[in-house]
Amino acid sequence: MAPISSDLLRALSQEWSRIPTGPEDLALAAAQLAAQQEPLARLDELDLLGVEPATVLLPPQEVPDAPR
Amino acid sequence: MPPADPTRLSIAETGEQIRRRSLSATELTRAYLERIARRDGELRAYITVCEAAALAAAAAADREIAGGKYRGPLHGIPIALKDLVMTRGVRTTCGARILKDWVPETDATVAARLAEAGAILLGKLNMHEFAYGPTGVNALYGTPRNPWDGTRMPGGSSSGSAVAVAAGLAAGALGTDTGGSIRIPAAFCGIVGLKPTYGRVSRAGVIPLAWSLDHVGPMTRTVTDAALMLQVLAGRDAADPSTVALPVPDYQAALRGDLCGLRLGIPRDFFFAHLEPEIREAVQETAGRLQSQGAAVEEVRLPRISLAGAASFAIMRAEATAYHESYLRSRPGDYGADVRGRLMAGQFLPATQYLKGQRARQVLRAEVDATLTRVHALLAPAAPLPAPPLDLREVTVEGVTQDVRLWITRYTAPINVTGHPVLAVPCGLTTGGLPIGLQIIGRHFDEATILRIGRAVEAQDPLGGRRPPLA
Repeated sequence: MAPISSDLLRALSQEWSRIPTGPEDLALAAAQLAAQQEPLARLDELDLLGVEPATVLLPPQEVPDAPR
Repeated sequence: MPPADPTRLSIAETGEQIRRRSLSATELTRAYLERIARRDGELRAYITVCEAAALAAAAAADREIAGGKYRGPLHGIPIALKDLVMTRGVRTTCGARILKDWVPETDATVAARLAEAGAILLGKLNMHEFAYGPTGVNALYGTPRNPWDGTRMPGGSSSGSAVAVAAGLAAGALGTDTGGSIRIPAAFCGIVGLKPTYGRVSRAGVIPLAWSLDHVGPMTRTVTDAALMLQVLAGRDAADPSTVALPVPDYQAALRGDLCGLRLGIPRDFFFAHLEPEIREAVQETAGRLQSQGAAVEEVRLPRISLAGAASFAIMRAEATAYHESYLRSRPGDYGADVRGRLMAGQFLPATQYLKGQRARQVLRAEVDATLTRVHALLAPAAPLPAPPLDLREVTVEGVTQDVRLWITRYTAPINVTGHPVLAVPCGLTTGGLPIGLQIIGRHFDEATILRIGRAVEAQDPLGGRRPPLA
């Protein structure tokens, strides 16, 4: 996959999030994102079309019906 | 006669002595405080020690007990809290410069419940800054030393909690776990750590790392002690809407059962794919012994659980950065470089990635749930390697090289994504004398069964009676 450019990250951070960043921060962030690009893309292997997000993980209301 | 050193005893043992009044809460608290004064300069488990308040609370406990008002097994027991649990009138730093002088005006629900049960607060425990890291390294407050080998990582983020319990500087402690932060330090320091089901224990008043992944739980020297603490902590809390109103079982009663009729699953495809051979052998041998103790053990498959790491990454990065956004704008220089780098990464994840993670977790949780209809619990290593050297950055395990932090959380983070309860217990020692941790993963809200299995592992005497050399 193509690397994420530091210029793009700096622009997003300063103009969009309004968070000041230094070059070291961007390098660390870029490295983490690059390392996770492929694993994140692999989430597409799951059939998520009919799945709603657990935006807050609501715990089940009872223990699953299972043999004891 | 009280023992020569009551700090070596379990909560259950000292609790019984306090109940019988052969040991006073004041004697016990004083013994822990003296030990802290003697050893914590080297071990650095504590950020704040509440000596005067602890002695006053112990004296009050002794008066109550003498007056016939015995509150239960935690009455008069000296415990300590990870320093992100809010404590009224006691500073709560979160291991961070940003909160170094912050004194909350209220108690977290878990702190209040422990106080109501009569536990004595010894102090607040060191941790990875804002709980955002699994190594336990903290440049500002000093890195807690692993009492098994001071040159090794204590594990994090609940590093001080694990070191304090392992080294006899507290009878029990609270930790929090967002990607393994109870189980990793428990495994590295050779103690018991329980991450309850998401929704079993209140998070109200606990400074979050990632709201939908955070869990609060006990860290203790024995499984029985973890059960005693969970008994007090568990249950619905109106201040935390994610908690549920399910009945809380009698966990002590559950420990008394044997393993006959229990089926245990070994998810070999992911949890045993990349780990140091000594750890694989220790977990397999433990499973074999559990079989001889009456359980049935079988292999199971979790073919998609390997995707949980990416879901964890997306959710944790996004939620943590959302929480810290205002501090990042106003005080970016007050974060340590490693935590700031992780927080920076969170702002660049598209919202769609976060939601993909939250959708994926539904699928992954269903997969684990389905497996847990066939077996009562799963057995897995807590980490693929024992406590690494403090300065290690990358590790190669069975031919695969990656960042040590990714290795450390490899087998723990998936269960934060699914929300199942997990007990980490020691299951052996490496040839180098470092503890090996086992995870026992249970059905939602069935902490009783994993505690029972954990008690059976403990009965195998996996540490051979050895204590940490620095304890």
